Amino acid sequence: MDPSERIAWLALAAVHGVGPATFGRLVAAFGGARSVLHAASDGRLGRAAIKVETGRRLPTEVVDRILVAAAAPDAATATLERFGLWTLTPLDPAYPSRFGVLEAAPPVLYGWGDPAALEDHYAVGVVGTRRPTPAGRALAARVARHVAGRGAVVISGLAIGIDGAAHAATVEAEGRTVAVIGAGHDHPGPRAHRALLRRILARGGAVVSELAPHAPASRGTFPRRNRLLSALADAVVVVEAPSRSGAINTGHHALEQGRALFVAPGRPGDPATAGCLRLLRETPARPFVGLAELDEDLAALGIGPVRAGDRPVAAPDPLVDLGAAERSVAVAIARAPSGLERLVAATGLPPGVVGGAVTLLQLRGLARIVDGAVLPAGPLLERG
Amino acid sequence: MLATLVTAVVSGLHGALVRVEVDVSPGLPVCHIVGLPDAALSEARERVRAAIRNAGFAYPASRITVNLAPADRRKHGAAYDLAIGVGILVASEQIRAGGGAWALLGELSLDGTLQAVPGVLPMVATLARAGQRRVGVPAANLEEARLVEGVEAVGLDGLDDAARLVAGPRGRRAMSAARRPVIGVSGLPAAGVAAPTGAAPEGRVALVSGLEPVDLREVRGQPFARWALEVALAGGHNLLMVGPPGAGKTLLARAIPGLLPPLDEDEALEVAVIASVAGLLGDGRRPGRRRPFRAPHHTASYAALVGGGPRLLPGEVTLAHRGTLFLDELAEFDRGVLDALRQPLEEGSVVISRAAGQVRYPARLQLVAAMNPCRCGYWGDPQRACCCAPGDPERYVRRVSGPLLDRLDLRVELGRVPPRELLGGPEPEASAVVAARIALARERARARNGGRLNADLSGAAALAAAESEPRARTRLAELAEAGALSARNVHRLLRVARTVADLAGAPHVDEAAILAAAGLRDPAGDRLGAADAA
Repeated sequence: MDPSERIAWLALAAVHGVGPATFGRLVAAFGGARSVLHAASDGRLGRAAIKVETGRRLPTEVVDRILVAAAAPDAATATLERFGLWTLTPLDPAYPSRFGVLEAAPPVLYGWGDPAALEDHYAVGVVGTRRPTPAGRALAARVARHVAGRGAVVISGLAIGIDGAAHAATVEAEGRTVAVIGAGHDHPGPRAHRALLRRILARGGAVVSELAPHAPASRGTFPRRNRLLSALADAVVVVEAPSRSGAINTGHHALEQGRALFVAPGRPGDPATAGCLRLLRETPARPFVGLAELDEDLAALGIGPVRAGDRPVAAPDPLVDLGAAERSVAVAIARAPSGLERLVAATGLPPGVVGGAVTLLQLRGLARIVDGAVLPAGPLLERG
Repeated sequence: MLATLVTAVVSGLHGALVRVEVDVSPGLPVCHIVGLPDAALSEARERVRAAIRNAGFAYPASRITVNLAPADRRKHGAAYDLAIGVGILVASEQIRAGGGAWALLGELSLDGTLQAVPGVLPMVATLARAGQRRVGVPAANLEEARLVEGVEAVGLDGLDDAARLVAGPRGRRAMSAARRPVIGVSGLPAAGVAAPTGAAPEGRVALVSGLEPVDLREVRGQPFARWALEVALAGGHNLLMVGPPGAGKTLLARAIPGLLPPLDEDEALEVAVIASVAGLLGDGRRPGRRRPFRAPHHTASYAALVGGGPRLLPGEVTLAHRGTLFLDELAEFDRGVLDALRQPLEEGSVVISRAAGQVRYPARLQLVAAMNPCRCGYWGDPQRACCCAPGDPERYVRRVSGPLLDRLDLRVELGRVPPRELLGGPEPEASAVVAARIALARERARARNGGRLNADLSGAAALAAAESEPRARTRLAELAEAGALSARNVHRLLRVARTVADLAGAPHVDEAAILAAAGLRDPAGDRLGAADAA
């Protein structure tokens, strides 16, 4: 793509109202992004039918916006520079080959970090609800840490909850993780995840979006983001999803795109996992029953480490240099993440000792407290 | 003829002497009150006239002038009624002042009986300082008046009592209160007498919104929160409890009055003065040794919490002086009202400035607050789904400003107690057992800190606490680095650690105390305080 066509491409893609489908039709109809902008300037664009079958035309406000973009095509490029973003178009060799399964692949993928993380040979998506239970949060972290330890790039959506737990566990295990966000990079995920975002990038991960930097999140952007999330993964694990959850949507996309879908089942009647059970009942998703079984299933599908079955050298027991109290608290949270109150009851230790032990485990990176629940973290995720 | 009586006015917690001069002279029957009276005082004219007639005296059909001196000081309230009434009787020569110089306080009813008035204690104290030795007060205020040493206080039921008192010895038979020897603070119930539970009247004085004291034996489960409460009370640290409805936050808070040691003599007098000014001591309620426990409703206004109003009355922070201020549903309080708590929490006093003047009230209180984790209350609950919109829980906790959260030294998250534990489980400790440990730890702290609780330690003194324990210092450095603690938070952590060590009977702040204190610092994790959730 020559430089002026690329500038026009970026300018057209950044126009609000021009989605992947419209973009594709316009470029096909006029023979290039530059031609589309020219057509806008001389009035042909407004008269052109963009959907041949229906004869539908572009809404006039979109035509006007394209006109504005055509007047200063450099503006979009300047914005990208200001945000420090790289871009990939389907014409670039580095454009994720996994997007080949998409019907309407994004004309431009915007990103921070290392674009090579998108082309890694092994990528696993971990998704779930924004309001997980402590156990769901711990499971997401456990899955992410496990697959990251076996060389996978962990793909998720940077949302509060399961997504955050998956990203955080991956960066903690020094793995690579890609966040696919549902807005432009001007609004990169929830504010509470700003520090996490920096850690993702520092660990060689990436934060990508199909939306131009200033595009706000809206009702439709997250479901559309989900199709990119599942496409970028070889397999998707749905950890915890109530009956109305974006993770269900991601699961459906994954199946449509031919990705392996694993769903952690829950107890019948439990609203926190009602969506998971429905996915298992209504789709060919496989139940997630354990990490070893996940490895087995992935290996059978030909997904995963190049040499199937090679386990990393057993890490030293993370509890080896802990005192007796810390050890029993660690064992308790690895078994069932819970609040401090429950830990006191479970261990039978005095509250002060439990509180101190949890502090020490946090200092060692073996535990973290989220919404009042003490969750296992780091090497402790490999137990239980 | 002219009659002069002595009485007092209260502004803030301090009184000033006021002379009531009554002149009855020939002329058209009219009564003037001069000397900066407020509305309640101007109405004294009507009350006094009716009271005099209904008490069986004659209201002089002459020109009556009442002067309240000094004339430049603003006077308010109805406490001058009695002095004005008796002054009129003396000036109209219906009685002769033969009983010596009595200062008189009290509000008159139309039937001639006396009503309790606020502020009797500081007024009597002012009169005593001015050399006044004999004071007549409404019988309902007698207990507080008697706290002042060196004053003979007599309780009166009505205008006729007062008339007999002023007239001399012959009239004193019928008086309601006996001529008891003057007693001072020692007249308070002895330390320890205040029972930890039950409906002792002084316990009720301090409780608002109908909260009855609770024994810890009745609080099942929540071992961690119980311990946090113990640490908070032992060190005077501020405490925040976060948890779903029904977790036991309010129940734990209601146990506080029975867990704190009684007030010492000086404290009891301070508290009694405040209660007197606030009018909490009328109706014969006795000032006690029980520490105040104030639980204002979350609709409380700025003036109700901090103090103010036209008469610059003390607010809840002052009424909780030397005791506990319990704010239930912290996030539901008006944000401006909450931020006004920062000054008293930091300085131990509050200054109220209005056009009417400026007063400083003491407000050395311990703040105990409780809130739900979100609007519906079930955020993070393992069983019940939270029905708030995404982002709402974060917004909910952000209604409490960062600086205020920062001043809450201890934060505990309470889960719901499983029914199994509610019905069975081990018998919880009784308040008396916990109270004994708290008292012991407070004694240790006071002995070491020169009478101060650990929460009032200076930063340098807090740092010195961990001086001799190298492992504790290492941990502290680790924690400071990991949690990015500010210097102020390091001091706070050390103060709490000092209390943990005091409860354990440890001479120094050791590693275990540091870790345990840190465990009490921010279990609420990401949403309260630390920026990074994950």
